[in-house]
Amino acid sequence: MRTDRIGGSPNRVGGIGRVTGSQQYVADIRLQDVLEVKLVTLDCARARIISIDTSAAELVPGVRLVMTAAHLPQPVPRFGPQFSDRPIIAVGETKYHGEPVAAVAAETRDAAEEAARLVRVEYEELPAVFTIAAALDPASPLVQDPSLRAGDPLAGTNVLREHRFGWGDVEVAASSADLVVENAYTFPMVTHFAIEPHAFMAAPDGDGIAIWSSIQHPNWLQKIISQILGLPLAKVRVFAPDPGGGFGGKQHTKLEPLVAFMALRTGRPVRLILTLEETFQAVRRTSAEVRVRTGFMSDGTLAFQDVQANYLIGAYADIADRVVSKGSYPAAGPYRVPAVRIVSRSVLSHTTPATAFRGFGNPQVNWAVESNMDEGARALAIDRLEIRLRNLARKGEAFIPVDTPADGDWEQTVRRAAELIGWGTPLQPGRGRGLALGIKSGPTTGLSYATVRLLADGSVIVYAGTSDMGQGARTVFAQIAATELGAPLDWITVVMGDTAVVPYDQQTSASRSTVLMGNAILRACQSIQAQLRTMAARLHGLDEADIVVEGGAVRLPDRELPIIDVLKPGLGRLGGELVGNGEMRKEAEPGHPLGGSAAFYEFNCTAVEAEVDEETGDVTLVRHVTVSDVGKALNPLQVTMQDEGAAIMGLGHTLMEHYIYDERGRIRNLGAIDYRIPTSMDLPLEMLSAMVENADGPGPYGSKGMSEGALLCVAPAVAAAVRDATGVAIRDLPLTPERVWRALRDRSTP
Amino acid sequence: MHTFAYARPATLAEAVALLEAHGPAARLLAGGTDLVIRLRDGTARPAVVIDVKQIAELRPAIREENGRLVISAGTVMTDVASDDRVRRSFPALAEAAAVVGSVQIRNRATLVGNVCNASPAADTAPPLLVSGATVVAEGPGGTRRIPVDGFFVRSGVTTLARGELVTAIELPLPARKLGAVHMRRTRRRGHDLASVTLCCAVDEAGVTRLAYGSVGPRPILMIDESGVLADPAGSDEAKAPIFERMFADASPSPRSMRASPEYRLAMLRVLGARALRTAIDRLARG
Amino acid sequence: MSEMLQTVPIELTVNGRRRALNVAVHHTLLDVLRDDLELTGTKECCLVGECGACTVSLDGRIVDSCLVLAVEADRAQVTTVEGLAVDGHVSPLQQAFLDKGAVQCGFCIPGQLVAAHALLAERPHPTVPEIQEGLAGNLCRCACYQQIISAVLATAEGTAR
Ligand SMILES: Cc1cc2nc3c(=O)[nH]c(=O)nc-3n(C[C@@H](O)[C@@H](O)[C@H](O)COP(=O)(O)OP(=O)(O)OC[C@H]3O[C@@H](n4cnc5c(N)ncnc54)[C@H](O)[C@@H]3O)c2cc1C
Ligand code: FES
Ligand code: FES
Repeated sequence: MRTDRIGGSPNRVGGIGRVTGSQQYVADIRLQDVLEVKLVTLDCARARIISIDTSAAELVPGVRLVMTAAHLPQPVPRFGPQFSDRPIIAVGETKYHGEPVAAVAAETRDAAEEAARLVRVEYEELPAVFTIAAALDPASPLVQDPSLRAGDPLAGTNVLREHRFGWGDVEVAASSADLVVENAYTFPMVTHFAIEPHAFMAAPDGDGIAIWSSIQHPNWLQKIISQILGLPLAKVRVFAPDPGGGFGGKQHTKLEPLVAFMALRTGRPVRLILTLEETFQAVRRTSAEVRVRTGFMSDGTLAFQDVQANYLIGAYADIADRVVSKGSYPAAGPYRVPAVRIVSRSVLSHTTPATAFRGFGNPQVNWAVESNMDEGARALAIDRLEIRLRNLARKGEAFIPVDTPADGDWEQTVRRAAELIGWGTPLQPGRGRGLALGIKSGPTTGLSYATVRLLADGSVIVYAGTSDMGQGARTVFAQIAATELGAPLDWITVVMGDTAVVPYDQQTSASRSTVLMGNAILRACQSIQAQLRTMAARLHGLDEADIVVEGGAVRLPDRELPIIDVLKPGLGRLGGELVGNGEMRKEAEPGHPLGGSAAFYEFNCTAVEAEVDEETGDVTLVRHVTVSDVGKALNPLQVTMQDEGAAIMGLGHTLMEHYIYDERGRIRNLGAIDYRIPTSMDLPLEMLSAMVENADGPGPYGSKGMSEGALLCVAPAVAAAVRDATGVAIRDLPLTPERVWRALRDRSTP
Repeated sequence: MHTFAYARPATLAEAVALLEAHGPAARLLAGGTDLVIRLRDGTARPAVVIDVKQIAELRPAIREENGRLVISAGTVMTDVASDDRVRRSFPALAEAAAVVGSVQIRNRATLVGNVCNASPAADTAPPLLVSGATVVAEGPGGTRRIPVDGFFVRSGVTTLARGELVTAIELPLPARKLGAVHMRRTRRRGHDLASVTLCCAVDEAGVTRLAYGSVGPRPILMIDESGVLADPAGSDEAKAPIFERMFADASPSPRSMRASPEYRLAMLRVLGARALRTAIDRLARG
Repeated sequence: MSEMLQTVPIELTVNGRRRALNVAVHHTLLDVLRDDLELTGTKECCLVGECGACTVSLDGRIVDSCLVLAVEADRAQVTTVEGLAVDGHVSPLQQAFLDKGAVQCGFCIPGQLVAAHALLAERPHPTVPEIQEGLAGNLCRCACYQQIISAVLATAEGTAR
């Protein structure tokens, strides 16, 4: 039973290209006369650049340009999604290992690489900070020049921002709580490791410029390039071919301004394909140290949550401070908590700039708070599932006082996960179970436009500025159009990734596209349906009010017609088409701590059964259950793929992934050899995923955003299972065999 | 990648002549799973790369000869792991070859390359040590047979002389019944370089041979002829001091990021005990 | 041939088509497929043999083409993802990847498909652990592993469309 419509799971739109190799990612596009770019970097994190001698490099045959900060407009433009702090290329000082100080453009990759090696940079290595403790030490150097932070009271520190959220009085609640559990947790520095490394191209384009980037937010890139080059938006054309995996690491502008200047200076197309190692130096998740004090009453009800989260961001802010605020804001979880105090800080350091990463700051605090829930349950001798259910917000409850109330029957999700893991059933020796809940605020603002054209033969073109980086947006959008306009899926084309053609979309992030762009497309389809109604009324001499266009058909009072039977005669002999535009806005709310309330929540319950080899510290996941409340699965197969993919990605930071730095701030496990991510042999022995659908979301047909949820609470669920199996609580990630072994060895009471 | 000159000799004599002529400026290329990475990252910058895969004498082959199994230099891990004679007589070597990298890697990586690369973590080194293998080298002075225990010096360094290359590895077919196993510790279940490798073989005469790697500059072979380790009924208390003596030379580097010395040393003992049990078991089951 | 060369003429058969070209000796098979032959279906990621995005079949065996010098492929038979479809129709395995949802961003998929084809050629009825082990050299960060395994199983069982 396959169906093209909503609720079906047709083959992915764009799938054929992906299985035949004809899908073109940025690096697969060959521009005529393109120059290859190679970056020049230093072998340390922070250094004062004394001089750059490009003469030897310029002599390499085929070299056309060796670009340094000196070639750029002065002062060198800076940019960033939140703060304009990142220079196009290092100016005066490098701030992290891998920050480019020069870039070579040459006729061949070989020439570019050779010349890059020949650029002589004289530099003086400077003291730097790589950890939260060092960054917060008043004696440490400042990462950002205070002059860049004019008027900022924290400019004399490495704290970029401090955020305070909460309600109720934690101290009063603490004085009457029956139990207070306080612990500190750490979350490692991990990287996106998209299999497609970032790729950028730029070419002069008449009186403007064209940019190609494997980017999630083409319109945002367009805006930044237009500002930096002083060009009108209409003269900056961004091509954003479907990225080969994004996960947040391809949201924001990185090296596109650099290649843009290189293209303009050489008058030629240029391209820069990062190596995997360079992507490690370009993007990562914020690491974090989270201290949580949780108060309970003796019956297990929560009295308060007191969370202090220090997130280590990189040398430039990118979107990391927003990660910190938005990620820490729902730290108290999906629970009814009378008093909450959250203090979170984005702490600058001389490391890879941190950015958005699937889960957006939530997994870090979730790891701490959910682990503390387990500690409380154990201390109170209350079942760990029970204590969660007891505190879980009911649908409609304003669990975060000034925000969107609980938008799902979350207990269903939790009970389903508990049932699938066999919660409460006997366990084999050496095994344990863990269960955790995850919640994440959806987008707080949004703006998506869509255009839909119903062509004369009934086929459809959808224009949507979303990036399909694997989540399957194209397919869902086509399914919406198929459902509303009756065309079969293979009669629908979804055009994305070209700012000269596709209308504006704010961004592809926060699991927003199904809800926001989906609604925009739905509205565009509805506008076409309205035009069809007018047509049908005219053709059949009826009153528009008596006509319904629905499910791909036109219903007249006495019969139903396929849309095409109205469209063809309606358009008449000249043919033509019907065009519908749709807009979906989620406006900012000025008084709101995040600037806007959540469009929806992603809610997930993860439960695992684990076996621990006490001699080696190996953790084997016997069963991994992930259940998400998705409102309505527009495409159930894609929901499963997203959830299971996110769950496995979560196993990465839970069990094996972390950057290892040396004393000079260089990533020692730079690249695929020593930075381990899960392979097909690292899967749980059994993975079960399920979804809850009550059609209670704000998206088309009652859908909610999804695809991050299943990653949120993997770590606390696994650690809880390890604890259940062995009796040891581990509060640092990842749970490598060595770390588990150490914890077992050091446990006081076996 | 830096550029270099490429030679593809068709005979052993040509290869030796090239090696002699270029000395340290030349590098031999077999499957390239170590060398190509080093050419790309610049840690090897040879002027000449000599591809050994067209040399007639080194063509992939596993043959039995005078009570020995001879594995030619062109033989890749996939073929070592699936060869019936290797699996029958040297099951631990087959196990080790089967865990080197991924299918893609094993289809290229040669056994000889693994040995010549002389990484302390080379998976095939412990089973070769335990099996009493011999490295056959050809050079300007003719053929030399080097016991594998006398071949490894430290990472990337062997006792091969200037102008020499390895043509084959020879394994004496065991005269006695034995049980053997290869074990390793990695950071994940998917392919990974090991933080401890260990091979244990127990024979019907009560001799236990234990070799381990990744815990020092080169893999180490230890032999217990007392019969204590091999005794299926022997107590752990009796075996412990012998194990301790066998592991005394382990000296893992504190610089490694794969595992701390402490963990490696502990795991050496865990693997040692597990491997011994398995080897005894396999011997008993025949 | 034992004279020393920095560029070498090679001849190879790629997806059934004979190709003759001069290659730089330090260029890999991956470089030549993508840049010289413009077969960009084979992908580049880690360049150290870890990810398998560059997997191709070389004389019937899968290899990481980033670790093979192009000169080493002289006279070889190479199959890339572009060679998997038969007469313009996707193979049952390719179709199963689509049916089972084994494709998200798609960047690892060419390598996964070439590896899975080879696995099935060698073992027409693999077990789940055999599939996991056979495809462990192909990283998928979208982590469609469960779905890839189902697709291989379905193809083996002949239940793919
Ligand atoms: C992703 C990946 C995973 C890996 N995993 C493992 C693992 O799990 N366990 C493990 O042990 N290894 C592992 N390796 C390394 C392993 O592939 C190599 O050690 C391999 O066996 C080397 O063989 P090769 O034929 O590829 O050698 P090459 O790379 O061609 O050569 C290796 C070295 O040996 C020299 N050499 C080659 N042939 C000869 C000869 N005939 N005479 C003298 N010197 C010679 C070369 O000059 C070079 O220095 C891995 C490698 C990769 C890329
Ligand atoms: S690019 Fe060749 S294995 Fe990763
Ligand atoms: S589908 Fe995206 S990496 Fe595999």
